[in-house]
Amino acid sequence: MYPQQIHGYLLKFFKENNCQIMKDNGHYLTTQLTIEMDKKIMNRPFYWKYLENTDGVPSPAQLTLITDQNRLDEEVKGEVVHFGSPRLNQLFQTTKELGAFVQMYERVTNKLTGQTILTPWLGVNYKVSYYSDQTKEMLHSLGINLIHGRIVEGFQEWLSEVDLDSTMSADAFALTSIIKPVRGLERLDAAIEKFINEDDRTWAEEAKVRWQKDREVLEHFYKDVENKPECYEMEKQAMDEQYEAKIKIEIINGGLFYMKSS
Amino acid sequence: MIIEKSSEWKEGFIKRLENHESWDNWTLYNMSYDVVKDNLITDFSGLQSPKYLPNLTPLAHQLEVAETVIQRMNGKAILADEVGLGKTIEAGLILKEYLIRGLVKKALILAPASLINQWIEELNYKFYIPAMPYKKNYNLDQCNVVVMSMDTAKKSPHKERIYEQDFDMIIIDEAHKLKNHKTKNYEFVQSLKKKFCLLLTATPIQNDVFELFYLISLLKPGHLGNYETFQASFSASKHDWEHDDHLKELVNQVMVRNRRQDTGIEWTTRRVQTISIDFTKEEREVYDMILELKNVSPVFSSAFSMITLQKEMCSSKEATYLTLNEMRKKCTEPEVVQYVDEIVQKMMALEINSKAQKAYEIIEKADDKVIIFTEYRASQAYLQWYLYTKGITSVLFNGKFKNSKRDWMKQLFKDQAQVLIATESGGEGINLQFCHHVINYDLPWNPMKLEQRIGRVHRLGQEHDVHVYNLAIQHTIEEDILALLYVKIDVFEKAVGDLDNILSSLKESI
Repeated sequence: MYPQQIHGYLLKFFKENNCQIMKDNGHYLTTQLTIEMDKKIMNRPFYWKYLENTDGVPSPAQLTLITDQNRLDEEVKGEVVHFGSPRLNQLFQTTKELGAFVQMYERVTNKLTGQTILTPWLGVNYKVSYYSDQTKEMLHSLGINLIHGRIVEGFQEWLSEVDLDSTMSADAFALTSIIKPVRGLERLDAAIEKFINEDDRTWAEEAKVRWQKDREVLEHFYKDVENKPECYEMEKQAMDEQYEAKIKIEIINGGLFYMKSS
Repeated sequence: MIIEKSSEWKEGFIKRLENHESWDNWTLYNMSYDVVKDNLITDFSGLQSPKYLPNLTPLAHQLEVAETVIQRMNGKAILADEVGLGKTIEAGLILKEYLIRGLVKKALILAPASLINQWIEELNYKFYIPAMPYKKNYNLDQCNVVVMSMDTAKKSPHKERIYEQDFDMIIIDEAHKLKNHKTKNYEFVQSLKKKFCLLLTATPIQNDVFELFYLISLLKPGHLGNYETFQASFSASKHDWEHDDHLKELVNQVMVRNRRQDTGIEWTTRRVQTISIDFTKEEREVYDMILELKNVSPVFSSAFSMITLQKEMCSSKEATYLTLNEMRKKCTEPEVVQYVDEIVQKMMALEINSKAQKAYEIIEKADDKVIIFTEYRASQAYLQWYLYTKGITSVLFNGKFKNSKRDWMKQLFKDQAQVLIATESGGEGINLQFCHHVINYDLPWNPMKLEQRIGRVHRLGQEHDVHVYNLAIQHTIEEDILALLYVKIDVFEKAVGDLDNILSSLKESI
């Protein structure tokens, strides 16, 4: 992420969370945090505890974030934020927490056709990580039609073409799911696992070869030792942990989507 | 195959379905997806860490080391770049990469006490890794990246507290301190679980090839075979073996080593001179009397104390006096005491220290900042006094100084004094690129100590040629030391690879 991208991200993040932007120079910004946001990101639980106990007047912090230090010609006191900085990671994490579950409806504007029928979909964004002594990550965006159970890939991209709103238009009618959302989730989970099982496993095989090679070397070292010392077991365990192939499935976010197309 | 998943999202989803909690914001939903997509590690290979480190511009050789260690050595390696090429940066890159990839959650860094602050600073400011120094009252469960000294770590109760933890990565700085497998240090590290492990040392061999064997056996037991097979194939004689190339190849599978000239950076030249000095007639007389001591009384029969006395006499009468006086107390026979007293008397009457005089000449001629390394505290004090009488300002430096005092002395040297007089242990980890002259007033037995000393000055950031002066007094033990240093350098070069000049080339000096 370049400084401008980060700057744009921060502006959007604070605006969406109702934190007023007090100052914005394109390379640094000052925002007035809301009480909720202060509690979330300023890491001062004792202040808030104290305030609650004493019925004090809350004074959430103002935060100045510098996104491009090189363009700074004035004296600004603030935190320098860049890709990889702890503050940005924290805001990414907060974004993830605050954008994990949605329920959205396609906006309906054509009044001529009378009531428009909206079909329920469950969309879930999965991150799949392969681990051995190396890693690789993949993102899968899946959607399932909760009427007849069709599963589509690239759901998030598809959604980006649709005009969505958090409330349903007055002249729209949402069908009730035939497949319960939780059952839909289970089907998507199964689809992800099927994908994983059919995916290329060379990486795990290769890790196993590296593992065996290291094991042979270790065995050779202790070949003639009758009572193997504790560190032999330790080494073996370390190798197991280092090379053992693991797969992690994580849900980034997901939600219910009511849309015209089915 | 193990598949890990969490039901956390499902539980949150059910709460929303049952209207217990409200739905989230659509824009944040999209932002969250985009962030994950942008930060995705799409390939097993390649480095992610540089893009997270805008304030660090790693050099090409440092990036290459990080990639090699992760991809070819599976995260277990000896980083053995020559002094001053940035081994800490390489280790930081590797640690950062594993942290980003989620393969390392907890890491332990063991470093000499004097370097702990430097590690903390570099990791925090250059790598944004929240490393903290170990304090006795810390709960290690809560420290994910912790830096502590080997001396602390190997002792109870710290040792036990470390063993309780599940560290994914162990980094050991100045790992040549593990060369002896009979030490507590070695035993401690051997019993540590080492999933990913980096051993940092510019000098993986100091004396003989077995040090390398033990170091590698710590990292990867069996890589060089077990002791018997290793001994049989590589050490027909300690300093000479046949399977050079085979050994080198095996070593290179677990060790990366960049030399200054491989880095593609323009390095300033190292100009090494061995300077022979003649004792005055009076000094020679005292030296010869000391040599004679072993025939005078059994008190002086141990080779070790005799060597010490000879070395000290090559350094200063002040250094010699301390040892000699201690030994005199053990003498009982009057004629022996008388002989020793005679030496002391003659020694104290000496008005010229030929070596100090030579050092002064070098400093005069250099007309610039100079570092003098000596092995003895008494010589250190003497040299300061001697230079003072010649109108030359100097500051002292030794390993016992606390960090704040080290920084202060370094600053004094930079701003005020012309000469820094350091003892051996003072040499570690201090960077003095503003200085271009190094005098090795006394020679250590170990060539790598010389390399470490020179490395304080001849490192990244040095803009001038570096002049190294090795002082040796003719027809004394220092000539033997010099000869042995050449043998040891040869061992190193056969097993590990070439070394930059430490001594002037053999022919010149003999």
